[in-house]
Amino acid sequence: MVFAHGFGCDQNMWRYVAPAFEDEFQTVLFDHVGAGGSDLEAYDPVRYASLDGYADDVVELCRALGVRGGVFVGHSVSAMIGILAAKQAPELFSELVLVGPSPRYIDDGDYVGGFSEAQIHELLDFLDSNHMGWSQAMAPVIMGNADRPELGEELTNSFCRTDPEIAKAFARVTFLSDNRADLAGVSARVLVLQCSEDVIAPRSVGEFVHRSLPRSELVLMAATGHCPNLSAPEETIAAIQSFVRA
Amino acid sequence: MGADDVDDLFEHAPCGYVSAQADCRILRVNSTLAKWLGSAPHELVGRRFPDLLNIAGKIFYETHFAPLLRMQGSFDEVALEMVRSDGTMLPVLVNAVERRDEAGQVRFTRITVFNATDRRRYEQELLHARRSAEQASAELRELNATLEARVAEAVEERMRAEEALRQSQKMEAIGQLTGGVAHDFNNLLTVILGGLDTMIRQMPSLPRSAQTERIERSARMALHAGERAATLTARLLAFARRQPLDPKPLDAGRLITNLADLLQRTLGETISLETVSGGGLWRTQADANELENALVNLAVNAKDAMPAGGRLTIETSNAYLDESYVAQVPEPVPPGQYVLIAVSDTGTGMAPETLAHVFEPFFTTKEVGKGTGLGLSQVYGFVRQSGGHLRIYSEVDEGTTVKIYLPRLMAEVAPPESERARPQPLTHGGLETILVVEDHDDLRAFSTGILRELGYRVLEAANGRSALEVLQAAHDVDLLFTDVVLPEGMDGRRLADEAKRRRPAIKVLFTTGYTRNAIVHNGRLDPGVNLISKPFSFEGLAAKVREVLDAGSEVSVSP
Repeated sequence: MVFAHGFGCDQNMWRYVAPAFEDEFQTVLFDHVGAGGSDLEAYDPVRYASLDGYADDVVELCRALGVRGGVFVGHSVSAMIGILAAKQAPELFSELVLVGPSPRYIDDGDYVGGFSEAQIHELLDFLDSNHMGWSQAMAPVIMGNADRPELGEELTNSFCRTDPEIAKAFARVTFLSDNRADLAGVSARVLVLQCSEDVIAPRSVGEFVHRSLPRSELVLMAATGHCPNLSAPEETIAAIQSFVRA
Repeated sequence: MGADDVDDLFEHAPCGYVSAQADCRILRVNSTLAKWLGSAPHELVGRRFPDLLNIAGKIFYETHFAPLLRMQGSFDEVALEMVRSDGTMLPVLVNAVERRDEAGQVRFTRITVFNATDRRRYEQELLHARRSAEQASAELRELNATLEARVAEAVEERMRAEEALRQSQKMEAIGQLTGGVAHDFNNLLTVILGGLDTMIRQMPSLPRSAQTERIERSARMALHAGERAATLTARLLAFARRQPLDPKPLDAGRLITNLADLLQRTLGETISLETVSGGGLWRTQADANELENALVNLAVNAKDAMPAGGRLTIETSNAYLDESYVAQVPEPVPPGQYVLIAVSDTGTGMAPETLAHVFEPFFTTKEVGKGTGLGLSQVYGFVRQSGGHLRIYSEVDEGTTVKIYLPRLMAEVAPPESERARPQPLTHGGLETILVVEDHDDLRAFSTGILRELGYRVLEAANGRSALEVLQAAHDVDLLFTDVVLPEGMDGRRLADEAKRRRPAIKVLFTTGYTRNAIVHNGRLDPGVNLISKPFSFEGLAAKVREVLDAGSEVSVSP
């Protein structure tokens, strides 16, 4: 069972969920390049200018570990990274668990992604125009702060470490992606976990994903927000367990 | 503290307070924050805290700060922007902490909001200041970098100038040395050649035998070798710029046309000769014989550079050397108009290291015995002595171009080239009285021997003072034959002037190994001065003496 974290934070996102599967499965946790404890030197802006670069990493990683017919659990943008990896190497996963997936964040005609194009551009403009100030404001939280050791000490092992420049690039790739057309080609069984009141991936998006996939189950969770793996680990664990045991 | 007090403290604290459920839905908000946002507190209750943020804040709250809060129980000083009811932004710093019950379930989240308007402005100003400082620093770095480059350039230029100065000093030193040695050689050669000459002339009067024939053959061989030695010495003097030149107005184009046959013979059949003469070529003033020598020397070099054949091109044109050009050549060259003679071959060319030495006498790239190493030295010396400039351009495997710049002749002073047509007088002696002044005993003996043999009455003196004494005693001296360089304070020129003052009818013939003195200005003969260069032969001296004695009226020597 391979756990992939989404935009923001790192494999710590799974700290309350992954241990529950250690008896039944061999669990694999990793940080995407540019996040958490990954080698920031390995970040190549060209390779990671689309989600395919991240999907290639997943395929490479799973092949190196000899994963076959496994379970891929992807949160947020990693749900789509898992879709791309499964299409590229169908033998890797027989089941996919997508937590808060979104194939496209921007509204498009009848499709309701949750954000208008103007909002996403506001986000990206904000990151660009204000990025120095933003980076520095974010830095104490995201990076730890060398100037404030009493804060930095606590945050040295921060759960959300990332390089502000990479976080900005990752935001661009994530929020401009459109993987709606990739859903139909997935042969694995898929579980879609949809939170209530998720502003990042609203219910309409979860339903779209469910409809577009050939073999999909949709579970509407009581949990709110975008991170049920943190806010409602028990509910998340139960949903995954019933899916993989079915 | 009463309940009212606590309530007042909560509502009107200098920061915003929010109590929220685990899902961020707002339970209670104080008046301070509500006022900042332009809303009533009750309007905010029931909304989710991230919904009060701008879009970036909302997304980052959901993806970064909410997980962080859940994992570490709190977060501090997150810089966010809240949206006021009128749509404007309120920069804030947000702290949050979770309160959990005994079972570990989140009871509520307490959020503290600080107005960071001023602080954000300071931060922006600091960022601006930092960017300006970085930019200024970058500019300064660049300035420093170019300063270093400028200094390096100046130093390099200085070093080039020093190197050029060293080179010209070296050339000058070599010239002094070469000139001195060549002068001494000339005196010796005059005696050697004279002796051989006399031997050969006396031979016919001896009875013929195998021995006399062998002696005569040996003497002729020695004479031939001596003459070659004299030619080499002349080249050395040319390099040292101490050869007496006889500059006359000339047309370089015509000179080259007349020389073409000889050059083609020098080059051989495998090398074609092309001469290109620009129209309206200015005239220059130079020693025609030496210019011809120079061109032959260059042709010989070109031939050696083109063993497999090729093409030699001699072009003439008018040229202007401007201030910037003459500033970068090592030797002093006045800017102005020049006649350019460019000699180009399609030969092997020379590497820069070789090029640096080509003017030095005895420097040769040819095999031992193949070259004297004096060819280019002669060209260089001649050109410099003629007030010109020489430049060599060479690329390995491409070829070499030698450019000779001779100053343009601005005003004609003497009838051009007519003198060369003057018929040589016949070799015969006379009965006139000649005073020979020469400090070198052997040379004086040689000269007086020839002149006596020719029938002249000969008087002699070893220096200027003795010569004047002889003149004082003898009233019938027709010709003063004097070395230019004399010891003890009176040189040949001053002696001649004094002699003419006392005996206005007296004729004067100078001789010299080299001249850098009163008679020859910058290596050029004053017009009308009679001079015979050492080493001279019996025939040469006989002819010259007769010529001077027979000349109608002596042109006075003027300073």
